[in-house]
Amino acid sequence: MSAASVRAEAKRLLALSLEGGAVSSERVGAVLAALAKSRSAHQLRPLLRAYLTHIRRELARGEARIEHAGPLAAADADAIAAHFTKALGRPVRPVARRNDALLAGFRVRVGDDVTDLSASLRLANLAKSLS
Amino acid sequence: MSFLSFLAAETTKAAPAAAAHAPAAAAAESHGPVGDIISLFGSFGVDGPHLLVQLINFAILAFILHRFAIKPALGQMEERNRLIEKGLADAQAATQRLAEAQKAADAKLNAASDEAAKILADARNAAKAAVEAAKAEATAAQTEVIAKAKAAIEADRVKMLAEVRGEVSRLVVETAAKVLEQNLDDAQRGRLNEAAVKQLAR
Repeated sequence: MSAASVRAEAKRLLALSLEGGAVSSERVGAVLAALAKSRSAHQLRPLLRAYLTHIRRELARGEARIEHAGPLAAADADAIAAHFTKALGRPVRPVARRNDALLAGFRVRVGDDVTDLSASLRLANLAKSLS
Repeated sequence: MSFLSFLAAETTKAAPAAAAHAPAAAAAESHGPVGDIISLFGSFGVDGPHLLVQLINFAILAFILHRFAIKPALGQMEERNRLIEKGLADAQAATQRLAEAQKAADAKLNAASDEAAKILADARNAAKAAVEAAKAEATAAQTEVIAKAKAAIEADRVKMLAEVRGEVSRLVVETAAKVLEQNLDDAQRGRLNEAAVKQLAR
């Protein structure tokens, strides 16, 4: 199989793994079981690698990874996730992690999109505008 | 000369005899007008034979003088005149040639002088043009060097200012970050997070 056909097959498998716009563990298990039966080992390795990349990317698209300085209430994290769910049109769940290097505020990453409302970014922008 | 001496001597000898015979001859021939004329010449001491001898003598002398003195002298004079005329003509030709040569030399000298003046003027013009060109080139090079130096100085100044500004900004931000990090407690950070959530919701 060529690299292009592997990517296309992995994309098709990813579509089969979604349930209600989100990755379903049951469906992923079924896809893997079907692959193990239908494909030989040397065909399976690149296809599984591409499928894993797509699954990870899709999972990241469904997560709002919140880095915050200081405490962040669960309600605030849920409010952030709700905001991105509404904005992106798909379910997004919050995953919070404390990072005091941000000084204050938070930084949210959903897939490849980053929203930064931290004090460290504002200071960096200030330094850039001054220099 | 011996002939002349002899003739003179005979004439001298015959003179007294003639003088002795003269009255008789005059008496014998003193008839008519011819006799009168003869007697008249006789009264002046002129007698025929004597005159004839003198004429012959004079003719001989004239012939000799003409043959040996006058003719060679005239020939020499003619030769000398011819030489003098030739010399004069040569001198005139030489003078003319000298004048022509002088004229040609003057013309060549004038031409050479004109040529030298022209070459000198050309050389001066060329030197002047070269000096002007060198001066213009030096001025252009000087201007270029000054412009480059000014540009380099300006670039250095701008770079230095940017570095200073960047350094000051970095120090300000680092200081602000340290101040915030040291002075913000969790409660304040929590309030700031809530404000950020509200800002995101807007």
